[in-house]
Amino acid sequence: MTQRLKATDVVIIGVGMVGSIVAKELAAAGYKVVGLERGQPRFTVPDFQGPAVHDELRFDIRKALMQDNTKEAVTFRNKVSETALPIRRWESFLPGTGLGGSHVHWNGQTYRFHANDFQLATKTRARYGAKFLDPDLTPQDWGVTYADLEPHYDRFEYLLGTSGKAGNIKGTIQAGGDPFESPRSRDYPTPPQKEPYHGALFRKAATDLGYHPFPQPSSNLSQPYTNPEGVKLNACVFCGFCERYACEHYAKAVPQTIILPVLLKNANFELRTGCQVQRINLDSTKKQATGVTYIDGAGNEFEQPASLVITSGFALNNVRMFLLSGIGKPYDPATGKGTVGRNYAYQTVSTVASFFDEDVNINPFMASGASGTLINDFAGDNFDHAELGFIGGAFVGAVNTNGRPIQYHPVPPGTPAWGKDWKQAVAKHYNHTVMFSIHGSSMSQRQNYLDLDPTYKDAWGQPLLRMTFDFPPNDLRMAQYVTGKAIEIGKAMGAKQVAGNPRKGPYTVTQYQTTHNTGGTIMGDDPATSVVNRYLQSWDVSNVFVIGASNFPQNASWNPTDTVGALTYWAIDALKNKYMKNPGRLVQA
Amino acid sequence: MNALARSNPIALRLLLVLALPSAALAADPPAGDAARGATIAATCQGCHGAHGEGVPATGGPRLAGQTAEYLGAQLHNYADGRRTNPIMSAMAKGLDAQKQADVAAFFAAQSAPYAARTVEPAPEQLARGRTLTRVGDESKQLQACANCHGPDGAGERYATPYLAGQSAAYVASAIKEWKSGARHGGEAQMRPVAQRLDDQDIAAVSAYFESLGDNAH
Repeated sequence: MTQRLKATDVVIIGVGMVGSIVAKELAAAGYKVVGLERGQPRFTVPDFQGPAVHDELRFDIRKALMQDNTKEAVTFRNKVSETALPIRRWESFLPGTGLGGSHVHWNGQTYRFHANDFQLATKTRARYGAKFLDPDLTPQDWGVTYADLEPHYDRFEYLLGTSGKAGNIKGTIQAGGDPFESPRSRDYPTPPQKEPYHGALFRKAATDLGYHPFPQPSSNLSQPYTNPEGVKLNACVFCGFCERYACEHYAKAVPQTIILPVLLKNANFELRTGCQVQRINLDSTKKQATGVTYIDGAGNEFEQPASLVITSGFALNNVRMFLLSGIGKPYDPATGKGTVGRNYAYQTVSTVASFFDEDVNINPFMASGASGTLINDFAGDNFDHAELGFIGGAFVGAVNTNGRPIQYHPVPPGTPAWGKDWKQAVAKHYNHTVMFSIHGSSMSQRQNYLDLDPTYKDAWGQPLLRMTFDFPPNDLRMAQYVTGKAIEIGKAMGAKQVAGNPRKGPYTVTQYQTTHNTGGTIMGDDPATSVVNRYLQSWDVSNVFVIGASNFPQNASWNPTDTVGALTYWAIDALKNKYMKNPGRLVQA
Repeated sequence: MNALARSNPIALRLLLVLALPSAALAADPPAGDAARGATIAATCQGCHGAHGEGVPATGGPRLAGQTAEYLGAQLHNYADGRRTNPIMSAMAKGLDAQKQADVAAFFAAQSAPYAARTVEPAPEQLARGRTLTRVGDESKQLQACANCHGPDGAGERYATPYLAGQSAAYVASAIKEWKSGARHGGEAQMRPVAQRLDDQDIAAVSAYFESLGDNAH
């Protein structure tokens, strides 16, 4: 039996980074907000404290902070002709769960996308011609521009306290920053983190080759910081336990350290944890949502009526919520019609390992998740693609995020995978290897999409999300090209041996790559090719908004978090200043 | 920094972990010689004890078994003004880098029984100290001391000192120096923590660490 609860103004599905920021803003504006979180409440104290928080077996290997895939998995196949199977153990990507969401276990790498990225389709055709793109690719403009988002990027970075060096302030290039970045209105809130030795080696080699190295923007802070909400963060100690872990030092910007202390004090907000939302309920016209139905930890079912529903979960879960609720038309790859689940994209990540002599001590354990040194010379459209036969690019960086003993053991190609020789190679190379990340864009493609699995169900009896994905040939050509450039940098650093590992197909879910899953509820100007309008409002159900990386029409060369944060404040601005004053469609199609 | 990192991973760890944001070590510190350090240590006895057991009545902390890296860095900090103390500033300035390293090596090699307790904390105070050092206090956004100083103040080689068995008066005065901003060389980490501690919590933490003298070093 379903218990019907008292109506509220706003219900938020997923109290992670997006959910807590949206909830804070709307509660402060006077609206009654209920936040539904499927996972547990958790805080820096007592949940993230040492020494237990550095348990590598528990967090790295057994993935204690991740979505429980014995209850709720994702099924996967490379192509439509295959049968998808559930991912029983997260490897390729790591969706989190619990208060604070996946943001709790991020590495803190905080990049803006470039102006070109938001108008990718238009700009690519203008520069390279209409026939340049592979016919299967489906890049789209976002419906917002970099200029629209700049104030919101700025606000989000100041919320986090991001440590970095501007490369372009209002059009003036700044020495030491990234000269390719689109103009920002002011510098980062805190200076860059200290540069580890591997970054110094990379900086020198990249400079000698004529590139433009800059410090990785980090939300593991270089110094103590009080954000505009009045919440204090501490300085990072370079312990090397960021991604897959929570930070015990209040030094990594996550909801617990930037916004939750303010949100949870607001009487207009009510947090309910252990609540598994089943669907967004629609009225008989299917044009208005009436609230949501959820099941609590004891198995009781509730209906929470609300005037406005905001889906702010992990990208994949946002898409699934729309599909489970029957909002919009599911994408059909055979016809190209339908929008929900369309343009699923990922990230094309390659690596290069540079092996040095044993008198060069890299000390990989002494790192934060974002204390690397990078170049953007081969990212986005910062280089001429006319003769290259692909679009997109990658940043190249010496990004040694950790030296954790179970997971980190680089060995040269040809080393046996186990046994005495492997052990000897691990001991020999552990402290004398620099790892590069070649972190590349991911183009959307007709064949890649998300829908509901016809066979497999979650612990509550609902269909799992099905992922159909393989790397577009365009992206593999990009990976090959940029990895070649990265190998040249490794050699210029003086490494004895440089091993490049350009990303190759087929995509596999059994090997860690990145948790940057994007698309499926994409934004745009045309309801025929997008799920939400430029304000992240559903074209079909005007009192439902969805905010997250699921809004990206394709993925750019950089980590998505900063752009998700910018979109969050952009949508909040529209909610507070437009929608709440006059609920209804903000854009007429 | 390149030469430093190449030859001495520990020194670079100190540089980053102990001394953010200001660089504590401009160059590799020389290797210390404990035997030579023993001669210098004779002048330290009055306040630190013959084997570094500490003399709480003088305010002199326990030094026995602290790492040479930590002790050497403190002498360096006293010598260049990052830390100040009427006696220690003068002492440290009188020692060149080699002598600082020697005396640090001497005390690092010592083991000594714990000095007598100086405080008799009430059970509630001890419990508060245990909670703060092991778990922290979310209402103050205050992390556990254990994150850096090790379980029950056992120390975290090489940069972070042990606090178990340290005299309560010394720990309290050190926290207050961090809090006021008087002490440098690690303030990026310690100052925000100290600022979240009021006098009662400083007393509780200090009493708790002193009570852990049986966690031998």
